[in-house]
Amino acid sequence: MPSRADARRSAEWVLRGALIAALAWALWLSIRRAESSPHPRRATPATLAEELQYALTTNDSVSIDFSIDATPTRADRDLLVALRRAGIPVSWSGSQPPLAMQLVREREPAAGAILRIAGDGAAAVAIVDSAGPLDSVVAQRGATLAMGTLVGAVRAKSGDFYSRTRVPDAATRRPVLVLGRAGWETKFVMTALTESGWNVRSRIPTAPNVFVHDDGLLPLDTARYDAVIALDSTAADMTEAIARFVQQGGGLVLTTNSVDALKSLAPGNAGDRRPGRILLAEDTVTSRDLPIRPVASLRTDAIALERQSAGVALAARRAGLGRVLAVGYDESWRWRMLGGSSGLAAHRAWWSRAVGSVVAERLEDARPAGDEAAPRAALFSALGPPRASGPIEAPSPVRIGLSIFLLLTITIALLAETASRRFRGAK
Amino acid sequence: MVGHAVSDFVFATAQYESGDWDSAPLVPANIIDTIARYTSIDVAPSGIIVPLASPSLFRYPLVYLTGHLPVRFGPGESANLKRYAERGGMLFVDDHNHDVDGTFHRTCTEELTRLYGAPKPLPKTHALYSSFFKFDDGPPTTSHELNGWGDNLVHKTLSGVERDGRLVLLYSSKDYSSEWNYHPENKRFLSVDNTKFAVNIVVYALTR
Repeated sequence: MPSRADARRSAEWVLRGALIAALAWALWLSIRRAESSPHPRRATPATLAEELQYALTTNDSVSIDFSIDATPTRADRDLLVALRRAGIPVSWSGSQPPLAMQLVREREPAAGAILRIAGDGAAAVAIVDSAGPLDSVVAQRGATLAMGTLVGAVRAKSGDFYSRTRVPDAATRRPVLVLGRAGWETKFVMTALTESGWNVRSRIPTAPNVFVHDDGLLPLDTARYDAVIALDSTAADMTEAIARFVQQGGGLVLTTNSVDALKSLAPGNAGDRRPGRILLAEDTVTSRDLPIRPVASLRTDAIALERQSAGVALAARRAGLGRVLAVGYDESWRWRMLGGSSGLAAHRAWWSRAVGSVVAERLEDARPAGDEAAPRAALFSALGPPRASGPIEAPSPVRIGLSIFLLLTITIALLAETASRRFRGAK
Repeated sequence: MVGHAVSDFVFATAQYESGDWDSAPLVPANIIDTIARYTSIDVAPSGIIVPLASPSLFRYPLVYLTGHLPVRFGPGESANLKRYAERGGMLFVDDHNHDVDGTFHRTCTEELTRLYGAPKPLPKTHALYSSFFKFDDGPPTTSHELNGWGDNLVHKTLSGVERDGRLVLLYSSKDYSSEWNYHPENKRFLSVDNTKFAVNIVVYALTR
């Protein structure tokens, strides 16, 4: 039977074993906690800078949970991405609404921009630029707005959330070449385009082998011109050059009076001419009152863009890399001269749009909208999906109790083992 | 109505309420003959008279106005002429007198200045003088300027008002209305056709 002293020594070994086991357990817990659950820190756009400072200076293992109550700035988003790449866990939560916009500059020198906006809310979205409010729209099913002059950045705001972008710079347009005989149609098409900001060059025959033309008119290629406007059969001697130009990506606006000369490119044939409406003394002219020679026998690859009672007034097709627009209206200058108070501006805008619709897109036109234009998509792209809803994991009472239990175990075991050795006279 | 659709150009003479607007009745036919003779412009065989106060004015983007007597435009005429210039019309005014500071010149330039601003002399290099025929010395002189009456008046330049680089008003004191006021068939008696400058005016109006 073991003596009392042996039993005491055995108990001391048990205490030492318990002490070592408790220390090992505590060490394991501490390592595991450091690896699995750093101390979470909540941040909002307002406190992000402060939390960033803490996360970068503390010795504690921390994670950042970014709670969104307004659209985060690009700088905020970049900070969080940088933190994540530095090894600090970052998550985000909140209800960033889907709201995205795109501003595309129209391809006319003096034109504004087209705003396309999409969202999923029934609430009105306010459109503002740097100079102030512009409009409001319910973008639930998407909306397209023609914008006039815009100043600086354009925002679509819904509460504290917004989408932001800028108008692309106006691309420098190359000249357009007008081919037509000496007459009012040629003159006023040129005038309308010049007034709209186009750089217009022309070749106008005034007598056999006599032309009024700009210097250095040829060669006709896409490095020199954006579009050709063929108003009548005087373009016939340039058919091959025009066809090559369009195949290379140049634009062509042709009237049905010039179709015979440019059959290979035209969207259709020329129909019979219908005279314009008979006007009374005080009547004014709109495009519908003009004489028309409709586009007939449309090609299979052509589309009718505008119809009048006499037939197709506007038709378009692609030819090679270029676009061709056929115009059935005749003597459009009467619209400008006799079109009442709006005729001048309407004629000018109509011709500018017609030419703008065939000129090739430039890099400037297609400049990306920027990631602030679609902030929700940008957030997903940068930080992934939002954290599932629910409280951030905090130290549980069980874990706290376990820590206290281990501390007490270690303390008691250490004191008991030391006291036992001392009372029996050992060191 | 949309008349004259078959012709690109119809020569129009302005009829105004004051003065003698019809003082040079043979000029239109003579100019039409000249246009047809030298150019391929599709010109209507007869001219038209258009009242300045009428909406019909806007069917004729080039209008010729002449006379001897004082000119005062009525409210309708003034409003139309202003709008006409804004839309791209060009008014060619010729003083049928060739003297300096005559009544037509004084009153008409007052009226035109009120509507368009003061006409300015056109340089010899102006596109008008090379739009078809070349006139290196500027506007051709008329025999009526050198009529032997001792006045020895030669107006060296024409004047005009430009908007956006094009003439909306061409003003002449050279009395082309007398110079061109004859039957076209009589051109055969001239060693040099004195109406050539009219071609430049018409071609300029149609191409600028």
